[in-house]
Amino acid sequence: MAPLPPRSGDAVFANIERVNAELFSLTYGAIVRQLLTDLEEVDEVNKQLDQMGYNIGVRLIDEFLAKSNVSRCADFKETADVIAKVGFKMFLGVTASVTNWDADGMSCSLILEDNPLVDFVELPDTCQGLYYCNILSGVIRGALEMVSMKTEVTWIRDMLHGDDAYELQVKLLKQVPEEYPYKDDD
Amino acid sequence: MIVSVAVVGQQNNPLYLQSFTEAGDELKLHHIVHCSLDVIDERVNNPKKNWPTLNETFLGLLYPSENYKVYGYLTNTKVKFILVTNEIDVKDADMRNFFRRFHTAYVDAVSNPFHVPGKKITSRSFAVRVSAIVKSFESGSNA
Repeated sequence: MAPLPPRSGDAVFANIERVNAELFSLTYGAIVRQLLTDLEEVDEVNKQLDQMGYNIGVRLIDEFLAKSNVSRCADFKETADVIAKVGFKMFLGVTASVTNWDADGMSCSLILEDNPLVDFVELPDTCQGLYYCNILSGVIRGALEMVSMKTEVTWIRDMLHGDDAYELQVKLLKQVPEEYPYKDDD
Repeated sequence: MIVSVAVVGQQNNPLYLQSFTEAGDELKLHHIVHCSLDVIDERVNNPKKNWPTLNETFLGLLYPSENYKVYGYLTNTKVKFILVTNEIDVKDADMRNFFRRFHTAYVDAVSNPFHVPGKKITSRSFAVRVSAIVKSFESGSNA
């Protein structure tokens, strides 16, 4: 069978199984609430959300590559585009835009206007330091690590803190070449 | 015009109270809302032929006092919405429309994972939405 051409985000989203958006938002809200009750510290919750996202990301990348048939990305710019257009569309149903490339192409910003995770959410005054969508930063970090890219993902803008959009900064720290466990001369 | 709106929980605990007049008679509004709760309880427990059946959410005019009219709305979860208005003639359809939109705003506020059911509604966007619904109701009825 000839290799399939890469599918656009919309095409993949149309064929994939979907879940009710309200159920998804309410479930995620319940997770965050429970973490806050268990851990009590906002920083700890941020870290846990990131860790949970990381665990999701390392598994999600395989499903993503299998369902979307994207070819190998030539450089980090292409990677960021694929994440924003195909990845976000496939899993969250929204597309992000990529901006703010720095001089050497190692860091960019993903901007989300619309985020299904935060429907109905308003942060109370006691949790103002909480990065509610921190799971997303973990997911991106985990997924990229499985394709040999070490990245650092941080939140620049957050609508729950009063900004006008969600902005994630993805910085490529280094490309880890694939290590083979076997020595060549054996 | 609408004087105030209130949301009262299952155990008749106040969840939200907002008044739209400048006068500082909050206490009087609390009192009116409290009295209307009795009327609601009466209607729920003793349905009569000329009153709405048990399945009806909109309870209609609860009681007219000298200056005010009080309208009620009961959700399936026994949460009550009370509306106090000093307007002379109000169309039934307008009232139902108002309560329907109010109910939608309430549902969105309660879906906030940080809202504790049974505690007061502290959502700022809920307050903004309620003000918007009240304003549009008033401009609609005055037009």
